Amino acid sequence: MMKDISIGRYVNGNSVLHKLDPRVKVLLFILYMVTIFLANRPVAMLATFAVVLFLALLSRISFIEILKSIRPIIFIMAFIFVINVFTIRSGEELWSWGFLKITTGGLEQAVMLACRLLLLIMATSILLSLTTTPLKFADALESLGKPLKLIKVPVNEMAMTISIALRFIPTLVEETDKIMKAQSSRGAEYDTGNLFQRVKGYVTVLVPLFVSAFKRAEELATAMEARCYRGGVGKTKLHPLKMKGSDYLWGSILTVTAILPLVVDFFWKLK
Amino acid sequence: MEIKDLTNSSYEQTVSAKELVFSYTTNDGTDVTAVDHVSFSVKKGEYVAILGRNGSGKSTLAKMIDLLEFPDEGELNIFELNADEDEHFWTIRSHCGMVFQNPDNQIVGTTVEEDVAFGPENLSVPLPELARRVEKALGYVGLLEQADKQPSAMSGGQKQRLAIAGVLAMEPHLLILDESTSMLDPKARDEFLHLVSRMREDKGITVLHITHDMHEAYRADRVIVLEHGRIRVSGTPSEVFSQVELIRELGLELPKWAELLWELANRTNTPIEQSDFESEEKALEAMRRIVREKKSLATKTSKQENAKPSEQVVLRVNDLAYRYDKKAPDAISGISFDLRKGEIVAVIGHSGCGKTTLISHLNGILRPSEGTVEIWDQEAQAFITTNRNTDIKKIRKHVGLLFQYPEYQLFEETVEKDILFGPKKLGYDEEKCKRLMMESLPLVGLDESVLKRSPFELSGGQKRRVAFAGILAMAPDILILDEPAAGLDPVGQQEIFGYIETLRKQGKSIVLVSHDMDKAAQIADRVLVLKQGKQTFFGTPRKLFSSQSDYLSMRLDAPVLMHTMLALKKDFPYADALAFDVKDAADSLLFGKEGEVTPS
Repeated sequence: MMKDISIGRYVNGNSVLHKLDPRVKVLLFILYMVTIFLANRPVAMLATFAVVLFLALLSRISFIEILKSIRPIIFIMAFIFVINVFTIRSGEELWSWGFLKITTGGLEQAVMLACRLLLLIMATSILLSLTTTPLKFADALESLGKPLKLIKVPVNEMAMTISIALRFIPTLVEETDKIMKAQSSRGAEYDTGNLFQRVKGYVTVLVPLFVSAFKRAEELATAMEARCYRGGVGKTKLHPLKMKGSDYLWGSILTVTAILPLVVDFFWKLK
Repeated sequence: MEIKDLTNSSYEQTVSAKELVFSYTTNDGTDVTAVDHVSFSVKKGEYVAILGRNGSGKSTLAKMIDLLEFPDEGELNIFELNADEDEHFWTIRSHCGMVFQNPDNQIVGTTVEEDVAFGPENLSVPLPELARRVEKALGYVGLLEQADKQPSAMSGGQKQRLAIAGVLAMEPHLLILDESTSMLDPKARDEFLHLVSRMREDKGITVLHITHDMHEAYRADRVIVLEHGRIRVSGTPSEVFSQVELIRELGLELPKWAELLWELANRTNTPIEQSDFESEEKALEAMRRIVREKKSLATKTSKQENAKPSEQVVLRVNDLAYRYDKKAPDAISGISFDLRKGEIVAVIGHSGCGKTTLISHLNGILRPSEGTVEIWDQEAQAFITTNRNTDIKKIRKHVGLLFQYPEYQLFEETVEKDILFGPKKLGYDEEKCKRLMMESLPLVGLDESVLKRSPFELSGGQKRRVAFAGILAMAPDILILDEPAAGLDPVGQQEIFGYIETLRKQGKSIVLVSHDMDKAAQIADRVLVLKQGKQTFFGTPRKLFSSQSDYLSMRLDAPVLMHTMLALKKDFPYADALAFDVKDAADSLLFGKEGEVTPS
């Protein structure tokens, strides 16, 4: 039941993007974000679309899977679209009814914004959540965060915390399920009654869950100490991140593709 | 971090403790001396078991040796290095490996190999060596194929083997096991102990094993028994366990064969020697001697027959099958059994055989994908099924379900409020709730004094009772108990089974899930065996164990007592190998007729 829950939405695979160093992916992601925000003319947006599609093909993940990641934000997208369509007024009037008015400028802005959001989500899921395990993502952040150590940011400890959190999510999900079953046996109800009663119902789960999580934390800390944990000092790594030739190659190719829409846009404007 | 390599060190004493004292102050301000002037030593390569009731200071002692706690007084040398000196700190800790009780709370890594690497990574072991150690350790415990799997998806037994691998990769000289097997089922426990023996042979590792299991303690070279932080008795297993009265006074149990030996000797007034306790073989020899020579002197015990359950069926399961998902394979299928008023049905099977899934159906937490679960409603004089939403509340009134380790279901500020939660949810008025609560307390050995306390400040055993009382206060006539005694010390376990017997006498019907085959065979009227989600047997324990080919094909272990009785049956063919109680077994050996042969 709840046991099958997976962390993030990683899809197993062996594509170029799966194998790419996670640090490169994080940096590329930032670059794509910049491009998506700078692309504010239809031509640039179309070019960006093409580039993101290229990424999708590279990931070898089915389009259905990628589109699924958009589902949770469809409502927000629709909301932003509607607000923009009716509030921005520039260019010619296309349609009006009472105080509602749609203009060409408004429509263009609304479409652009919706597209931007759509691309942003697609790029995030293709580059990060679908092709990078949470653990590798944490590793990348740890590695990229190294300079922050100079200003006393505990980068290793933060990475350790993230990794332990990831490790314990399935355990706590399973435990929640167990506690809910035990409390239902005692007559607790979670899906009936008004909001107040429901919230009250969840107290019977949350209190034991917190108590147990604290106990686990305490025991885990002892177990970690017993295995000589002493922060990040001198810690070696079983799988250190290492840039390979292919990482440089694909990193460069994808950097060029990321900038491409802006170049296209620039020359289009010159024409 | 300064670590001295001990590979070529010629130390002889792994642990040498003199007059160790450790005390702490509890939340309510009382001082507790957990370890009270304890002196002992462990030689290199030795296997020492530490026994004692919960709260006797065993774990604190173990933690002191791994430098996780520090003594207030006394002198501690580990590997002949003074534990008090800072320069030895990392040398000592890095050469001690510790495996704790709860498998889930000692795994750090997101994948199996990451977890094994954690220790050596902390010791700054550089790369080719690090990977080599991880691979070797995983290979040693047989988990190499799971290297990139998530630990959370593994079984309890696999998780504990993973914990061993994590320790092995640090190349320890001393292995400390802190009740590491108490949450495992018998099969996983055997595998684990086997692994430990192999490590001793291959690597000469010294082992310090804290345990409640007396059969485990017998594997040790030496046994130390603690009570209230003090050493009460120590010596070889036979030296310690031959002092039967003292052992029982200290809240420990004997292995089943030793119990039978003691019973036979007592009944015939035969003196027995310490050497009779050296091993099961020696004990068998002594028992043969006693039965042959002293039969005439024996006194018979007045036998207590279990009250016959009535014919009234209170729970009926018909061809039950369940799938967690439409497309998923059956988690359980083809399960049919019934439970009569005043009867105990034991459900047995290895971890992951579907026991929890099955019992979750009995009070309607899960609904069958196929088949039905029916509960007898006394008032309506009819069966009600768990399939109808409207009947669920009625079913919860009839069926009380206590899951494994039920301590986690406590959530209220006071014990009183927590016990009252269930009856209130059933819609009883204030007065009735209070009355039910007061009735439930003595059933689990509690009194009013706990009512105003917070459940979270109670000891583990007391929490268990409060959770039990919370179910009993709902006044169910059917009780479903999932491993109600798991993780408790021997006395705590006996107490829980005592409560169950009392409840049965009061006419409650009980479904008991248990790993303990001796207990199940002894207490249950009928046994339901599950194997990989399928029912392979339903009937009396005598019938189950009367044919060896049957229970072996179900991959079940026979009760420990039965092994002993089968060995004795060769000399005394009339003995009843299917006597699951030590007293009955002794009776059958001493009073069975020469010519009479019981089937086996």
